[in-house]
Amino acid sequence: MSVSPLVSIKNLHATAGETPILQGIDLEIGAGEIHAIMGPNGSGKSTLSNVLVGKPGYEVTQGEVSFRGENLVEMDPEIRAREGVFLAFQYPVEIPGVANNYFLRTAVNAIREHRGDEDLDAIDFLNLLKEKMKLVEMPEDMMGRAINEGFSGGEKKRNEILQMLLLEPSFCILDETDSGLDIDALRIVANGVNQMRSSDRAMLVITHYQRLLDYIVPDYVHVLSNGRIVKSGDKSLALELEAKGYGWIDGIDDDAAGVKNGAASAGAPS
Amino acid sequence: MSAAVDSLARLRKNIGTERASSVPATEVATRLETMHTEGIAAFAEIGLPSRREERWKGTNLSALGAMDFARIGTGTAAPNASVVDSLQSVDADLLFVDGRMVRASADRAALPEGTRVLSLFEASLEAPQLVAANLGCLADSKTDALVALNGALFEDVAVIELAPNAKPDRALRIVSYSTSLTGAEGTASASFPRLLVVAGEGAEASVLFENEVKGEAPGYTGLVSEFLLSANARVEFIESQSGPSKRIHVTQTFARVERDAHFDSHIFTLGEGLVRNELSVDLQGPAATTRMHGFFLGSGSAHHDHFTTVDHAAPHCSSDQEYRGVLGDKSAGVFRGRVIVRPGAPKTDARQSNPNILLSDSASIDTKPQLEIYADDIKASHGSTIGQLDTEALFFLRARGIGESDARLLMTRGFAQTIVDGVGDEAARVLIGERVDAALSSLQSSASSMRPGSSPRRDSA
Ligand SMILES: Nc1ncnc2c1ncn2[C@@H]1O[C@H](COP(=O)(O)OP(=O)(O)OP(=O)(O)O)[C@@H](O)[C@H]1O
Ligand SMILES: [Mg+2]
Repeated sequence: MSVSPLVSIKNLHATAGETPILQGIDLEIGAGEIHAIMGPNGSGKSTLSNVLVGKPGYEVTQGEVSFRGENLVEMDPEIRAREGVFLAFQYPVEIPGVANNYFLRTAVNAIREHRGDEDLDAIDFLNLLKEKMKLVEMPEDMMGRAINEGFSGGEKKRNEILQMLLLEPSFCILDETDSGLDIDALRIVANGVNQMRSSDRAMLVITHYQRLLDYIVPDYVHVLSNGRIVKSGDKSLALELEAKGYGWIDGIDDDAAGVKNGAASAGAPS
Repeated sequence: MSAAVDSLARLRKNIGTERASSVPATEVATRLETMHTEGIAAFAEIGLPSRREERWKGTNLSALGAMDFARIGTGTAAPNASVVDSLQSVDADLLFVDGRMVRASADRAALPEGTRVLSLFEASLEAPQLVAANLGCLADSKTDALVALNGALFEDVAVIELAPNAKPDRALRIVSYSTSLTGAEGTASASFPRLLVVAGEGAEASVLFENEVKGEAPGYTGLVSEFLLSANARVEFIESQSGPSKRIHVTQTFARVERDAHFDSHIFTLGEGLVRNELSVDLQGPAATTRMHGFFLGSGSAHHDHFTTVDHAAPHCSSDQEYRGVLGDKSAGVFRGRVIVRPGAPKTDARQSNPNILLSDSASIDTKPQLEIYADDIKASHGSTIGQLDTEALFFLRARGIGESDARLLMTRGFAQTIVDGVGDEAARVLIGERVDAALSSLQSSASSMRPGSSPRRDSA
């Protein structure tokens, strides 16, 4: 590549408390690219995304992450968000008492201010919100409710995508946004994501299932195990994993994978 | 004897006869005389509350005992003219300064038939029986020193009468200013506002009572309110208060709720003062209900104490208590809630909850819900929590680009919102919401400038 990648992760090691979890991750994501990350439960996928957005409780012990050439690790979470890093959380939190629409407007304006744009007033914001809500097929009355309070699992995930559409980040990380979605919701979420696809945006899509990748077609697929990327390939790797499980890959952690003789690989040749 | 008792006794020795002779109806005058003499006698006998008493364990009133009062109420003169002038724009049915009515709104005349909002003088002319029969009937001077003090020294009363089925279409608004302007540094003023609300059968109304303080000098405000709700009446009482650090404010509210009636109380305490809010609700008739809600936000070295009692004396009654506290800086909160369920009150449903958030390491809360149940077949729950802001939620907001102090503000506002949203009258809800927001914003901005850990972004390579 002639230009430097949008996101560059080099030899990233991170711990949660005393426990080492990420053990040397190398990954470059160029603008316009979609990378998928798959891997057994507990392999460190959410940890990687949390470290990228600066969640407290994790410590980067080695390596570096640069975003548009800037050192991401040193930035406060809100600065990363304003610079354009976004994570759709695997488990979105509920925040009682804080209305969704009020929260969204505060977030949109925080990001606009950072970019040097003027605040959106209540009416302009409402119009923008309505437009984006249509894309994820969310009913309008959900906006007056507290953030994720009483939302179903699928509604929470759609709400994450709505936030992404409103904030227009340039690096989007989706952590299992497809889990727990019914077939229609999966299509809706995938449409939302595809809306965001553009030549100046990068995406990191974490998933356990090939079916999401039918909708959001990745340029690269990586397998994470034990805090390391143990295999990379193109979209055909996801199909292969679907068919064979993880057991056949060199360097896969047997215990964590649990698939060598387990249900996921039942019927698959090994 | 304490400085306070000395100075109160010295000042306005004649207040009892003065106020009795100021009203035109003899039955009211007699009632006022009695309240004065009983109050003086009881106060002399009981003395100021001390922490040795169980009910005062959480709050130290010695600052009140040490106050050398230079003035009680308006003094012998009329209320301070410059203060009254500065309150021209205050829009209220009745405006009180230092416990005496200084202005009534012209809008008052437009209230629907059967709704009356009156000063003591006016009530003596228009409804002397109502005052003579009800004033002081719930707030007992003989057993409570602070009720006694108010009973002995109040100068005026806001009287609200709701005839049967009266339903005013807007909240009745009373604003009460206590001034701490006159007198040299080190001297204090005391004021004793008082409210009486009598609701006839099926009447429905919201009453907004705002306590304000002008000036920073030390002082004491002792408010006593009584609510009498006949069968099927529904009365909402919204009280707000916000005082400076040297001000002591005591609110004592009593309600008697008869069959199928509903008493809804919302109290909002902001600021830096020493505040004691007492609320005592008697659910006397079958299926009487009450909601007792409060939000308090302590800043500086505020001390906010809530002491509630709900007495379930009849079957099928329900009470819902929720007091939410946010304590910042070096402030302290106290919550003591008593729920009594008498033997004659089966099918009671009593809920009590006191969640609190501490915003700083130096803030504290002392909370003790208390159930006393003497009946079978009831539902009761109580709980209190003390926590910091949820760190997961805080991080979520930051991960969406919202700065840390704004994120904290959003969350504390969210915590208060439940109580604000409970206010039924829309105009009052908006007004209170704005005040709570403003108080939260100023607390957050003072807190975040001192907080470690919110260091600015370091330069990146
Ligand atoms: N804050 C933490 N403290 C201690 N251990 C942690 C913490 N966060 C993650 N871990 C551990 O790190 C490992 C990786 O967790 P992570 O959530 O990143 O896995 P994952 O790949 O996202 O799994 P899944 O597919 O189940 O979502 C797990 O063993 C987990 O228990
Ligand atoms: Mg995960």
